[in-house]
Amino acid sequence: MTMPKLSMTKDSRETLLYGILGIIAFLFVWQLACMYTNFGKIFPTPLVSIRAFFLAFVQPIGRYTLLSHIAISLRRVLVGYALSSVAGVIIGLLMGYSKMAYAIIYPIFCIIRPIPGIAWIPLAILWIGIGESTIYFIIFMGGFSQMVMNTMDGAQNLDTELVGVAKVLGAQENQIFSKIVLPSTIPYIFTGLQTSLSTSWMAVLAAEMITAREGAGWLILAGMQTGRIENNVIGMISIGAVGLVLASLLRNLERRLCRWSVRSR
Amino acid sequence: MKARTKYTLISIISLILFILLWEFLSQTGIVSARKLPAPSKLFDTFIYKLSNKNPDGGTLGEHIATSMKEALLGFFFGIAIGVPLGICMAWFKKFDMFFRPLFDLIKPIPPVGWVPIMITFFGIGIMSKVSVIFIASFIPATINAYSGIKQTKDVHMWVAQTFGAKNRQVLFTVAIPSAAPMIFTGARVALNGSWVSLVAAELIASIKGLGYMIQTARLVGRIDVVFVGVLVIGVFGAIMMSTLSYLEKKFVKGGRR
Amino acid sequence: MVREKSINQETPMVRLENLSKTFHVDEGDVRVLDSINLDIKKNEFLVLFGAGQCGKTTLLKMIAGLESSKSGSISIEGKPLKGFDPKVGMVYQTTALFPWLTVMGNVEFGPKVRGVSKAERRKKAQYYIDLVGLNGFENHFPSMLSGGMCQRVGIARAYCNDPQIILMDEPFGHLDAQTRYMMEEEVEKIWAKEKRTVIFVTNNIEEALYLADRIIILSECPASIQKEYTIDLQRPRNMVSSEFLRLREEISTLVELREGV
Repeated sequence: MTMPKLSMTKDSRETLLYGILGIIAFLFVWQLACMYTNFGKIFPTPLVSIRAFFLAFVQPIGRYTLLSHIAISLRRVLVGYALSSVAGVIIGLLMGYSKMAYAIIYPIFCIIRPIPGIAWIPLAILWIGIGESTIYFIIFMGGFSQMVMNTMDGAQNLDTELVGVAKVLGAQENQIFSKIVLPSTIPYIFTGLQTSLSTSWMAVLAAEMITAREGAGWLILAGMQTGRIENNVIGMISIGAVGLVLASLLRNLERRLCRWSVRSR
Repeated sequence: MKARTKYTLISIISLILFILLWEFLSQTGIVSARKLPAPSKLFDTFIYKLSNKNPDGGTLGEHIATSMKEALLGFFFGIAIGVPLGICMAWFKKFDMFFRPLFDLIKPIPPVGWVPIMITFFGIGIMSKVSVIFIASFIPATINAYSGIKQTKDVHMWVAQTFGAKNRQVLFTVAIPSAAPMIFTGARVALNGSWVSLVAAELIASIKGLGYMIQTARLVGRIDVVFVGVLVIGVFGAIMMSTLSYLEKKFVKGGRR
Repeated sequence: MVREKSINQETPMVRLENLSKTFHVDEGDVRVLDSINLDIKKNEFLVLFGAGQCGKTTLLKMIAGLESSKSGSISIEGKPLKGFDPKVGMVYQTTALFPWLTVMGNVEFGPKVRGVSKAERRKKAQYYIDLVGLNGFENHFPSMLSGGMCQRVGIARAYCNDPQIILMDEPFGHLDAQTRYMMEEEVEKIWAKEKRTVIFVTNNIEEALYLADRIIILSECPASIQKEYTIDLQRPRNMVSSEFLRLREEISTLVELREGV
């Protein structure tokens, strides 16, 4: 799904040139729009935005500086994401491995599955109130169904011949699970982890916009409410950057753990 | 065959038991009806909301219509621009080099992050939602069209070239058809993202739509309306996704990769 | 008849008595094995030869414990077979290596699940990895190996579990001709060094003649024993000797005749 990295060949100089050209053109259009159109009445110029970005590291916006806001969002995402991943893998394995569990759980799961995590926000507030656990819950619901679906898919696509091989070699029923079912599901789990990470990141933004007084999502929204659009831009850039870092960390982990899988190479 | 009948039966029983247990918990007050309204109550509310504008100023049908209109408009614009952009980036090298850094810059920003800026620009009407959803579907549409073209098997292109096809003919007769499954994958991701960001955008600021309905109901404490809204959001999301899958089966021949 | 012959001899390694197998599918019943009676001696290299698609793999799977039979019986060293027997190992047509384990991980899998200590099983696995000529590839994953190398791993994995009987289900069916010759030589060398009872399924006449002490010709669906050849040629066999060619001619005529009917 992601674009392959550009190779550093003879063309790399040309690539760099055109890339810089693209960025400059973009900044130029932005600057012109600010100077000569109504756009400038609400939107800061590129220079103002960049200055504000660096200032935000030292000057607090709201109660915290930029880094603290990001750290707060990051902690929320990681807690909700960890919980949904663990629960999703367990339920997914259960449904993928046991036909009986699938028959019992799947119809109920189907009610929850198509509901976006963000749509749970009003219900979560009514159930739990406004606070950290509400945000965790929303992030949890954001990633949970994707984890379940991917893990289940993996366990259902299990190569039954390999189970036979293991049994002929003397593996017992409980060993089949830990030594065959689990490892062969891991690439699918990683696919789930990747998609679920980006939905979790989106869920935390939405949750913070609606229920929080700190965090990157709040930063973006507060920028709008106070008319300081540069804060808005700062928030978006940092959210994008952190999301990118998290996703590439996960890819590295996958490469290391799934060296055997063709997909990860 | 027999085993399948058995499991289907278990599924049906499981679902019925789930609903009965829910009804029981709510009716007996073990779980407060203010936290968990009974399914029968939800059904009544659903019927009520079909024709009544309380508490949020619109019937269920009006909210659904607004949400669908916003989601589909943004989705179609996103596809209409994202797919050609992805194809051009994959086919024309200079195009790719020029747009790639810009695209990489906006790619990782979650669509929800654009909501406040779009509201600042376009107000809380339909335009701001459509533009957020545009971004939500434009990005996956571009990425998938791009990879779809890039993954075109060289041998297929050589075959076309040895038959004397021009560069443009190779693009339209070989590369784009072979990228079709990936383009549809992109559309699926885009549609899913559209629906999610729509709900988010409507929750944050709007005057109509399903997200607005559940947010207003939450503020006045009508949890039954919230429940109905959430379920309707799920159902319509599922309907749109399966429509797209149906279209994909119909149009993509030769199966997915 | 077979039974009478073996009463006075030592107990056979494997004995199949009246073994039949029918699969029940939606369209009706398919009979794939029809009353097989066969004794396999200790350390014998037995080849099951059949041109058809029917019954051979099923027969091996039954001995391995992967399929059960309702009629007839299988006994190993005189004891009736129940489920999986540690005395039986198998090499598969599709190699069936565990893709998430390295060569070492695959070869030591059997001893590992049986609880053999790490030092001991590593030593043993290394011995068999060296034996099949994969020294230096211990930490490679199957996806990095060629088809022939994968099948070597499969053979080492089967041997490393110390089975008395090794079942080989068309192990070289997917290999190119050159690799196939090499692997046949390899299997014979290993068998000469590590004597085991081998039951080898193939549909390649030369392969059968090159490897077998005894060839059992199976008929088409349902498979039943059609003819038996004991091959007394000196090992390693010369594939262009007149006796070899004569036998090849004879068997192929037999098989072709049957297919013509």
